[in-house]
Amino acid sequence: MREALRLAGTFLRIGILNELQYRVNFAFSLVQSLIAVGTSLAVLALVFANTTSLGGWSAGELLVVMGAYVLVGGVIRTVIQPNMRQLMTSVQDGTLDFLLTKPADGQLLASVRRVELWQGVDVLVGTALVVVAAVRLPGALSLVDALGFVVTLLLGLIAIYCFWLVLTMLSFWITYVDPIIELFDGMYQAGRWPVSVYPGWLRVGFTVLVPLAFAVTVPASALTGRLTGWLLLGSLAFTTVLATFTRLIWHHALHRYSGASA
Amino acid sequence: MGTLNGLPGLYAATAKAAVQTQFQYRTAHYAYILGMVAEPVVYLVVWSAVADTHGGAVGGITAGQFAAYYIVWTLVRQMNIVFTPYGWEERIQKGELSGHLLRPVHPIHYDLAYFAGMKVVTVALWLPIGAVLWVAFRPTFDISPLEVAVFAVAIWGAYLIRSMLLWVLGMITFWTTRVGAIYDVYFTAELLLSGRLVPLALLPAWAGGIADVLPFKYTFGYPIEVLAGSLSTRELLTGLGLQAVWTAVGVVLVAVVWRFGVRRYGAVGS
Amino acid sequence: MEPDIRVEELEKTFRVPEREAGLRASVRSLVRRTTRDVVAVGGISFAVDPGEMVGFLGPNGAGKTTTLKMLSGLLFPSAGTVRVLGHVPSKREKDFLRRITLVMGNRNQLQWDLPALDTYAMNRAIYRIPEPDFRRTRDELIELLEIGDQVRKPVRQLSLGERMKAEVCGALLHSPQVLFLDEPTIGLDVTMQKRIRAFLAEYNARQGATMLLTSHYMADVQALCRRVVVIDHGTILYDGSLRALSTRFAQRQTITATIPDRTGLESLGEVVSVDGDRVTLRVDKDRSAAVAGRLLAEHGVTDLTIEDPPVEDVIEQVFAAGALRP
Repeated sequence: MREALRLAGTFLRIGILNELQYRVNFAFSLVQSLIAVGTSLAVLALVFANTTSLGGWSAGELLVVMGAYVLVGGVIRTVIQPNMRQLMTSVQDGTLDFLLTKPADGQLLASVRRVELWQGVDVLVGTALVVVAAVRLPGALSLVDALGFVVTLLLGLIAIYCFWLVLTMLSFWITYVDPIIELFDGMYQAGRWPVSVYPGWLRVGFTVLVPLAFAVTVPASALTGRLTGWLLLGSLAFTTVLATFTRLIWHHALHRYSGASA
Repeated sequence: MGTLNGLPGLYAATAKAAVQTQFQYRTAHYAYILGMVAEPVVYLVVWSAVADTHGGAVGGITAGQFAAYYIVWTLVRQMNIVFTPYGWEERIQKGELSGHLLRPVHPIHYDLAYFAGMKVVTVALWLPIGAVLWVAFRPTFDISPLEVAVFAVAIWGAYLIRSMLLWVLGMITFWTTRVGAIYDVYFTAELLLSGRLVPLALLPAWAGGIADVLPFKYTFGYPIEVLAGSLSTRELLTGLGLQAVWTAVGVVLVAVVWRFGVRRYGAVGS
Repeated sequence: MEPDIRVEELEKTFRVPEREAGLRASVRSLVRRTTRDVVAVGGISFAVDPGEMVGFLGPNGAGKTTTLKMLSGLLFPSAGTVRVLGHVPSKREKDFLRRITLVMGNRNQLQWDLPALDTYAMNRAIYRIPEPDFRRTRDELIELLEIGDQVRKPVRQLSLGERMKAEVCGALLHSPQVLFLDEPTIGLDVTMQKRIRAFLAEYNARQGATMLLTSHYMADVQALCRRVVVIDHGTILYDGSLRALSTRFAQRQTITATIPDRTGLESLGEVVSVDGDRVTLRVDKDRSAAVAGRLLAEHGVTDLTIEDPPVEDVIEQVFAAGALRP
């Protein structure tokens, strides 16, 4: 486990050093991030010009959701998506073999070798938004709440990572996975709003199929006093099951892959 | 089909090629369409929720009318898909642009013809999705034959205007490849001021005023309102007229920027 | 008769940004961009008569493709004049574009997912070719290129060579008067290269079209062009017949002989190979007669041949000499 962390650290460091060369990209990424946040704020303003609560959440609470949405989106675009895209390409052009013959865990390597640093601006902006929004909420913010946020956020990120990895591994069987990626990219937008806004069947979909609830709504709940012990345990259980399931799929996919390319 | 010559012949042949090619990729296409549907469904759900807390309607629009708006939205969205400005960089790098420049025809005709042909396949694939959305969200419609006729024209107006505007955006690639931020500003403006995010009636008055003088409205909001809203005959026809005006503006913009763009391309190569 | 192509003092200079490594340099480069001028083509002149086939020979980066792009209107010259069929290419007049064609070796202009025939139909409309003429030209080309079956399959299913032939067919449907061919046989196997060359020779003979061909394969030029233009570092090193190229530039010759007595051979010249009694020597051209004489007189040579070196070696020599020029 320590080895895995060390390896991940090395890759991330090299990735970051690489990206630091393109400093101008930082300025542009910042501008783009701010435009996106500005748009989201405009949307919120529009909605709350017409109502005081949405799905049981107030404007201030929805701001927390928005912050979490931007933050998680940033992590996805910085670390998760670049690696998944790279994985898909290596399956298609056969370079996956190089990865698999290295003396380290294939899944780990495939998941951390690329970093798109400048998308990380969203992580910063999202965090800032969460902090500002949480502080402005009525009632004091306790340490337990903050801890709950961090824990559920990590769990949610793992859940999203697993989801993306399983999706990418579909490319081992289907060659044209690109549009499916686009499909779920489009669906991620639904994470802007807390899951309670959606009608029943969509709510289930966004919890179990596309784990948006776990990635965005649940962490936001922690900061708005909605996190119960049961919800926390449920997140933990769900994420554990998903991670195990993903690992199994990984092994099965590799089996299939090595068999196919012989 | 074989005896048409010149531009009509090119349009016919290219559209035909587009249909044949896109039909081959219909499964992939479906995934794209489904992903695109997520956007308006989210808007619809949110605004319906707001309408519920507000006593059934927001700004005079009921949940059923929102449903109608956003379902027609999905069809109009299919119709206004055009060559992406992000595709220009690859087009230049791969040498495709050079190929176009060697032919005695303006390259925009190829794009217009190709994406127009694609509509046949796209709309056919959309039909079942539209039906499912209808059943799931129960829209309320009040359509007259005139509205249908105007809609049939308006969607092509939307297509032409958006084609021109995004072509101009794409041509910025002649001068710089750092187009991300510029495109973001454009698409944000389009999102907020075209009726893509929300029916224009719900915008605050000052924003609505700006939206009225920009072309974005005629690529989304106006065509949607033709079918899903209740525009008067005068509004219907003025809208068409304004679409014609904006199309002409777009054509002029394309012609001017193209001239400078080709000069730049010829000076620096690819 | 007016030449089809006339080029005078043609120049093309590119302004390229200079980028150094290091943090300080990249910060500085944000504020002030330093550029440097790269001369791709430095003042060349030549003319091509109607129906001529000219080969442009040169290593990568010599300026061949840049010249072709200026001739076809894709690039604007920095200085000098260029006229093709009386037109200024950079004006890109429709009449001009209808009478030329540019075939690039590894570029794809056919619709990927459809049979080539469908792209041909699009080309017909673009170039306004009357239907009967189109059908006749198309069928002739398909027969000449032997791609009758291949044009009915989606282009993505064709091999590289078949695709190249289909591309060439598409490029010639409008019966252009001037053909620009940029590395047309690159990446193809030897058999396919030969076939394409044979086709081009045949096409030139039948149609009398003017052809300008660039390549770094000597074999392309040898097979097709009587006249060759050698270009390197943006300047023309030689413009004339291929045969004369050897005679003019070759500085050495090879003498092959059956020499039973091989003592002291090394003093006569460089021994390239020995196979039993057959010996090959490389000798400076002005000494070859003398060496041959001595071999015959002193070494009991029975048969002897003197040859010019293969053209590749000559070209290599020409480039090396050109590179040393100031």
